[in-house]
Amino acid sequence: MKHSLAARLGGLILCATSLSFTNIASAADWLTLQGTEPAGASNPVNIWGFIQAQYQDDNSDANAADQYVPAKLIGPDLDSQSQFNVNRARLGARGVAMPLDSQINYFLLAEFGNNGITDPENSSAKLTDASITFNHVKGARVRVGMFKTPGSEEGLQAIHVFDYINFTNVTNQMMLERFPNRRYTPNVGPQTITPENDFNGFEESVGAFRDVGVQVFNTFKLDNGWEASYAAMFGNGNGLNFGDNDSNKELYLYLAAEKVFSGKGPRRSGMKFFAWSQDGKRTADFTNDATHNPEEYDRERRGAGFKYLNKGLRFTAEYLEGEGMIMQGVHNPSFGIGPCQGNPTSTAGCHGAEAEAKGYYVEGGYRIPSTNWELDVRFDNYQRLDGDQFEAEYDKLTLGAQYFFNPRVRVAFNYEMSDAEAPNFAKGAGPNANLDGIEDRFSVQVTAIFK
Amino acid sequence: MKKPYLSIGTVIVTAVLTLFASMSTLAEDEKAFAEHKFVLQISDMDAAKQTLVLNVAANIMKHYGPDKADVEIVAFGPGLRLLFEENVNGNRIDGLVNNSGVRFAACGNTITKMTKTLGHPPAMNSHATVVPGGIIRIKELADQGYLLVRP
Repeated sequence: MKHSLAARLGGLILCATSLSFTNIASAADWLTLQGTEPAGASNPVNIWGFIQAQYQDDNSDANAADQYVPAKLIGPDLDSQSQFNVNRARLGARGVAMPLDSQINYFLLAEFGNNGITDPENSSAKLTDASITFNHVKGARVRVGMFKTPGSEEGLQAIHVFDYINFTNVTNQMMLERFPNRRYTPNVGPQTITPENDFNGFEESVGAFRDVGVQVFNTFKLDNGWEASYAAMFGNGNGLNFGDNDSNKELYLYLAAEKVFSGKGPRRSGMKFFAWSQDGKRTADFTNDATHNPEEYDRERRGAGFKYLNKGLRFTAEYLEGEGMIMQGVHNPSFGIGPCQGNPTSTAGCHGAEAEAKGYYVEGGYRIPSTNWELDVRFDNYQRLDGDQFEAEYDKLTLGAQYFFNPRVRVAFNYEMSDAEAPNFAKGAGPNANLDGIEDRFSVQVTAIFK
Repeated sequence: MKKPYLSIGTVIVTAVLTLFASMSTLAEDEKAFAEHKFVLQISDMDAAKQTLVLNVAANIMKHYGPDKADVEIVAFGPGLRLLFEENVNGNRIDGLVNNSGVRFAACGNTITKMTKTLGHPPAMNSHATVVPGGIIRIKELADQGYLLVRP
């Protein structure tokens, strides 16, 4: 199955590149776009937001006991295999605190949709961004508050211009952080539809690629149309939670160099190279006993990639790897699976708190000339518990099409062909009892941006 | 003792404004044979109006040609931000001045008020000519046959 996915991907890329190149495309300096306002030309209050409404249908098969795991159900509810949902509805304001002083700007955004931000805490709304940027020091802007952290392109980019409906597996499982519960929480096993218990064992919102802290950053214009960006952030390492749950802090680093071809904003044409790292610790009680005995675990993430967007053609590739705090699915809030469940120091491994993972994705888009259609294709790979007996490998090929009613309203269609297996186990044995049935998913999503 | 200083200050301000005015006159003289004269007003807070007024100036020049069109953009009130040194439209202003001879006038009254608010004078675009009052400048140009447009 893996080879067939790769073969299909190669064929599609060949088809795409054999077509003529025209029209618009984009690469973006997300640090500047999200953290600053145009000097001398920003209003005090710019109201903006977007709505995303979707339908998803998953064709995965149940296990031998007619039970399902979260990967086969539609999130964030994880109650069924097909669902209409308003997965994002965000409203915010951004601008300059005082019109005459462009050196201080702010960014405020709240989520009202149904997703991993609001569902775990049963909240109808949750603040996702609240930051102030000081632009007084040349070459070193300072941003404080809650905002997107320096990191992978898929997480750092603005979600309302994301060209697919669902994240790649490596982003969803390794980068979209789920934070350990305050006390040891047992796994939730496979269940029939409709599940008797909430499949999501995590009590807090996903990290949403955000943190609370302080960031120093800037973008410099170089010769020949090149730009160089850097960011260094020091944060709680506790996602959308305003405070911290331990005294450990997270260090985020980011470097990028981009050749800007033309345009501006999130869809400007350019060729960008980037690298990033995240380094911190998490405190959690993963031992299955009656004692509250939290311990510290390292969490490291790093990656590098490339993005090219010009004349209607887009190509992105990124490699990511992680050490520590490797999630084993939202139904496993103790981060462990198999016999080492509740035993992080087991020599048999398989506990995510001390494990490794890696993955990559390559994707491309092509805007069909003289039409409002764009074709997209993406292949992603994720190796969870890399090198462990319980290692699981996920491959996904996503075929997509987008129709742009106008630059701010579009509908996207995605068809995902997924394959997952634990290579150290026979078919149907161990983790494969539930991984074998992960199959295709169809999604359609409408996005409307207003500002 | 204060009166002499005030007088000196007044003389300096008057001299500077006179110098600016003469420079403005020189610039207008370069457009002596222009057949189509426009004065564009920018006084809004809305940042989109900054883009709009620059677009209008560019379109006038494109349609008539720099030799046959004379455009002066007068900024006052919140619209004065267009002529701040830091404004992101600085490159476009450079282009309109250098390639098409578009002139930019900055309201002295607004600068005075903004100076009080900020505690220091706002740093202005080097292409901005300070005039005593934006609305006065518009009246002067209107009297000379310029068509007032407020995009």
